[in-house]
Amino acid sequence: MKSLKNHISLIIPLFAILFAVEFYLIIDRLIADYEVRLSSDYSIVVVSKKPLTLEELKVVDPGIQSMKEIDSTLIINRLKENSISVNYEELKEYLPHFYRVYLETLPSSQQLEELREKLSKVDGIERVETFRKTHRKIYHFLLFVKNISKLFLFIIFVTSVMLVFKQIEVWNLEHQERMYIMALFGAPLWMRNAILVKLSIIDTTVSTILVYITYSYLISSGSIVKLLGIEDLSIDPAQIAGDMLWLFGIGLFISMVNIIIVSSRQYRIATV
Amino acid sequence: MGSKSVIIAKDLTLAYKPNVPIIRESSFRIRSGEFVFITGPSGSGKSTLLKSFYGELRPQSGALQIGGVMMEQIKPAKLAFLRKYLGIIFQDYKLIKEWTVKKNVMLPLLIAGYSKDVCEAQTARLLKHVRLQGKEDYYPLELSGGEQQRVAMARALAHNPVIILADEPTGNLDEYSSRVIWGLLEGANEQLRTTVVVVTHSIPPNLEVPYKHFYIEEGKIYEIS
Repeated sequence: MKSLKNHISLIIPLFAILFAVEFYLIIDRLIADYEVRLSSDYSIVVVSKKPLTLEELKVVDPGIQSMKEIDSTLIINRLKENSISVNYEELKEYLPHFYRVYLETLPSSQQLEELREKLSKVDGIERVETFRKTHRKIYHFLLFVKNISKLFLFIIFVTSVMLVFKQIEVWNLEHQERMYIMALFGAPLWMRNAILVKLSIIDTTVSTILVYITYSYLISSGSIVKLLGIEDLSIDPAQIAGDMLWLFGIGLFISMVNIIIVSSRQYRIATV
Repeated sequence: MGSKSVIIAKDLTLAYKPNVPIIRESSFRIRSGEFVFITGPSGSGKSTLLKSFYGELRPQSGALQIGGVMMEQIKPAKLAFLRKYLGIIFQDYKLIKEWTVKKNVMLPLLIAGYSKDVCEAQTARLLKHVRLQGKEDYYPLELSGGEQQRVAMARALAHNPVIILADEPTGNLDEYSSRVIWGLLEGANEQLRTTVVVVTHSIPPNLEVPYKHFYIEEGKIYEIS
């Protein structure tokens, strides 16, 4: 019973760390997917006196993915809808060229401003409309979500590492006599700490499996996408399975670092 | 006595707190193969002296050499190496409670890196020697005090140590168990020429081996012929 309690005392913080790390990885991937979608939907409008080619624009900024000319008939139709009395055929001759320019990734506000300035300097371009306000809202929201998940990860990580440290210290005290006796017979540090390493490996394995089971359930039931309100995006369960190796490594690394710290403070008397 | 000295102390001072010496500027020498008793009143520093021999306490001043190793500035790795050549016996046995008798005896052999077969064979031989065959799979708390001390004795002998250090080895034992332990220590000294250093309140009257006797009083160590 005591042994089970000891295992649970390490499994809980390790589970919390690994759960938070996996949550961060999932959010990061979802945001990346979301960014791709946003960038495919998002475009800037360029107004030019002369026809433009994609190659010309790519020289200005390689991040430009594609461009599409906006049919001037659409603009004229809009004027017609507003009952503006002009000679539409004549107007068509004088209208500049309108282009919708698509980017490879969703730029930051600063990148967008730089792009606007660069495009404005291109010969023939009269106006660049970046829809800055809308972009800024979307971009800042994404940044907010990213930072929140980082903060969440950081808080859980620090708290849990402290709990792991405390539990390893408890183990250390429990096994102190054994380690002391081993030291008296010349056992090296790794041999004295073998029991702590063994317990850590067991508990990290259990925690990783629990995280996998939890996320598999949450993904299959659609709880995560529902919770985040992104039902149109999907999470690949295969990626979660792939992450488990990383999570096991992270859990083990944290445990080992704590064992090294705890054991470096132990048996000063036994080892002078 | 032309044999090599395994323990050399020169102006040795031992203390737990600065300026409160337990052993003061004492010099002595223990040669290879000697059987040595260290006696003295309670609190005179007998166990403290023994602790300095296995590196649990560093000399505050003076020099202490154990098996050619200077103990004043000894590094943990060197100390671990030195301890592989020592067999230590305590009054409270210091057995690992969660381990069986067999595994306890095997400990120094495992540390020394012997193969499993060698460990098994040597452990079986030793348990027979200390008359504990059949109790290999017992846990220490399932044994009597005398039996536990015999396990500790077998563990101390397992790796054929150069020096056996015993701190009140019979302090908690009945007469029969005490006789067995003294017999084992004498045997190790006579047959294997192992140096034996025993801290005790009183020297057993019927000991058959020649021995050297150090007496500690008021921090000073005196050799009594």
